Amino acid sequence: MKNDLENTIKIFHGPQHPGITGNMSVELDLLGETIKRAQTHVGYLHRGFEKLVERRTVVQAFTIVCRICVPEPDPNEENFARAVENLTGLEISEKAKYIRTMVLEMQRLATMFLWMGGQAGSIGLGLIPQWSVCDRDYMLDLFEELTGGRVYHMYAFPGGVRRDLPEGFLSRLSDLLDYYEKRIIVYNNTFFDNIIFKKRAIGVGIVNADDVIKNAYVGQVMRGCGIKKDVRKDMPYLMYDKLDFDIPVQSDGDVYARALVRRDEMLQSIKILRQIIKQMPSEGDILQKIPKHRKFKLPADDTYVQTESARGAMSYYMAGDGSEKIRRMQVRGPSLVHAYTLLEKLLVDSQLSDVAMTMNSLGICPPEIER
Amino acid sequence: MAIDVKGVLSPLSAIGTLFEHPKTITYPAVKKDIPLGYRGFHINNLETCIGCASCEEVCMNDAIDMVHPDIEYNIKNTSGCVPRIDYGRCCWCSLCTDVCPPDSLKLDNICTHADSNPDNFLYMPKNHKSIGEEVS
Ligand code: SF4
Ligand code: SF4
Repeated sequence: MKNDLENTIKIFHGPQHPGITGNMSVELDLLGETIKRAQTHVGYLHRGFEKLVERRTVVQAFTIVCRICVPEPDPNEENFARAVENLTGLEISEKAKYIRTMVLEMQRLATMFLWMGGQAGSIGLGLIPQWSVCDRDYMLDLFEELTGGRVYHMYAFPGGVRRDLPEGFLSRLSDLLDYYEKRIIVYNNTFFDNIIFKKRAIGVGIVNADDVIKNAYVGQVMRGCGIKKDVRKDMPYLMYDKLDFDIPVQSDGDVYARALVRRDEMLQSIKILRQIIKQMPSEGDILQKIPKHRKFKLPADDTYVQTESARGAMSYYMAGDGSEKIRRMQVRGPSLVHAYTLLEKLLVDSQLSDVAMTMNSLGICPPEIER
Repeated sequence: MAIDVKGVLSPLSAIGTLFEHPKTITYPAVKKDIPLGYRGFHINNLETCIGCASCEEVCMNDAIDMVHPDIEYNIKNTSGCVPRIDYGRCCWCSLCTDVCPPDSLKLDNICTHADSNPDNFLYMPKNHKSIGEEVS
């Protein structure tokens, strides 16, 4: 090992690299094309969200949490809103719960399309990103209509949601789901069944179930090696206990297994959204009456909430101290353990050309590490 | 070793898309429809704005300054000031419009602005009665 490391050359994969999953870099020691040591570096994007929210009132802090993960803001909004509701005892209406569940599943689909583009792009299948980013944009069009924003929705608010569904929204969503069902068949043919993807991804980046338990890996990394766990089933929130869906799992634990789990989860999200469209109550308060922002105080108490994001369990710990500011907020997403504990280990003895592909399969989002 | 025939042939189905209509639009000749609820530029009905500065108070980005308008629009505006938005700081969260007591401040669905003069990003909301309806 010592000899190997003496003969290596050093390469920085990122932060300016199309194959990196955001503002981070991986320092690689290479012997030929083989990686002998990998070290993850963050710090290119320090935003200090947890500290920022301590200086704002609850109402003001709400606008910042969506920025913790750019491709996937809604689980953060949901966690924030639910934590404040737990602390203050705010009860939200069934309609608001259904809308929030719908938004989370719409977001899951949009995130999966973006992931698919990154995953296919990382092995040179340039057509898939062009398609999948376009397909994601159709969902962003619906978000734009519902929330007023394409990426940062700022929609789930303590006490419910900020706006009601626009006229005819559910039927437009239903049409989009029909379209997505057809598209997933196309992606199956061109990407998931593609021999190039299979040859590159099968047997690469293998994670075993013991490591998952020991290091608390989550999401598709966990379900890709056969562990059937999902916060939506294990600790149901919003309306998930009233909805019928499965937790897809695969047993091989490699990049390909994680891709198949994601594909099957897209189909499950479509199934969930179809049920929500059917069950959506026509009546109900959208937003409970809440005090003005200087009078909205959190009691001296704490709470812990979890939401299943498209990349795995996303948790918030929140503590109040009787003032209108949040005493402490701690964010735990999938990225930190996946980018450090897991990625650094997976890359050793793999090939340079596999770095981007392996990283993409882990669902890493750097702002979430530097929260 | 058996050849994965499906894996070789099925990606070729992508050729079929060559005969489909393009999904992109020819911007700027064709413009995308932006829904009415989009969070774009601020508009303010100056005849009803009471100059209370609630919007300035709630804005966590300090994007709002209360300034004197060129003429008096509303005699009930006790401070005589109306909000001006710094688009170098605003994140279009819409909290300022949520707290506006007479509901005079709103976000329009117009959202494109290009200017070489940075001072023009200190934006006086247009005097609209409601979205899409300008006061003459
Ligand atoms: S939209 Fe948000 S950031 Fe912009 S001026 Fe209003 S409160 Fe401030
Ligand atoms: S826009 Fe609304 S909140 Fe702002 S000063 Fe005028 S009345 Fe008050």
